[in-house]
Amino acid sequence: MDCKEIRDLVRERWGEELPAEAREHMSKCAGCEVYWRNARFLQTGFRALAEETPPDASFGFASRLVRRLQEWGATGARSEFFETVGRRFVYATLVLTLALLLSLVLPTTGPVRGVAGADFLALQSHSQTSQPDVVGGDLADTHDLIPGGPTE
Amino acid sequence: MARSEFDVSQEVEYIRRVQKGDGETFGLLVEKYQQRIFSILFHLVRRRDEVEDLAQEVFFKAFRAIRSYNFQSSFATWLSRIAVNHCYDYLRKVRASHLSYYSEMTEESAHELERKAESPPPQGLDHGEKLALRDFVGRLLERAPEDDRLILTLKELEDYSVEEIADLLKLKTSTVKVRLHRARKRMLEDLERWRQEGK
Repeated sequence: MDCKEIRDLVRERWGEELPAEAREHMSKCAGCEVYWRNARFLQTGFRALAEETPPDASFGFASRLVRRLQEWGATGARSEFFETVGRRFVYATLVLTLALLLSLVLPTTGPVRGVAGADFLALQSHSQTSQPDVVGGDLADTHDLIPGGPTE
Repeated sequence: MARSEFDVSQEVEYIRRVQKGDGETFGLLVEKYQQRIFSILFHLVRRRDEVEDLAQEVFFKAFRAIRSYNFQSSFATWLSRIAVNHCYDYLRKVRASHLSYYSEMTEESAHELERKAESPPPQGLDHGEKLALRDFVGRLLERAPEDDRLILTLKELEDYSVEEIADLLKLKTSTVKVRLHRARKRMLEDLERWRQEGK
């Protein structure tokens, strides 16, 4: 067994006896011997900590807690409900406002968007009057998209 | 029979009542489990004066969440899980780092303590030595990462089995074993580092 195996074993068999092979290794290897002694030190320390008794609940702990819960039930639950509803209302309003802003700010046409309803009407009137496109685009391609529009 | 002693079927009945909003009945569950919760909190936090406040917060959380309890794990495990999770955040905020009591000992008594604690089986420690050892290992534990501290406390101080820890932390038993192994390794490294710095 090498040092790594011995140390793994010390951690694995925490608090248990080690096999003779490991003990033999430790009798020759000071590093592993210290490692094992440190493990024993910690085990004893943990045992000492575990023996420490936790504090008792003070007299009337449960009844005080119940009283607090009942007080909370009378007001806290209601205010918590309104808080939750209020928070959801604020979130919904924020989302709606953001959607509205986006719809106003984003251009109605562009590479990302298709032909919008307003553009559709504009295109229809344009095709009827055969005016050149103000924006400068060639609308010849879009004529195919307009139902009932000139096919040429 | 004490008010806090009741069997499983009664407990189920009480829980159902609390789930319908019966705060008075919750008091009976508190009485039954308060000692267990106090013990977990005390060993995890190691601050005697804060245990009761923390316990109150844990039971408060449990009451508010009791409708989500679906009887899949035992009520004790469910409650302990709330306590452990509550402590987890607390521990992340509070981090102590000095090894005062032990370092205040004379070199001679520190060596004597080490010798006694290391020897198999540990020789009888007197009251003062036990206090010093507790203080020292407690502080080592406080310096450990929260995950290590949690798993070591449950295993070494609360005496939970690997399976119980897995159930409590909702982990696989193999994961618990790996974490425990790593936590011990880090503690041993920390102890070794401290000894090298101290000598």
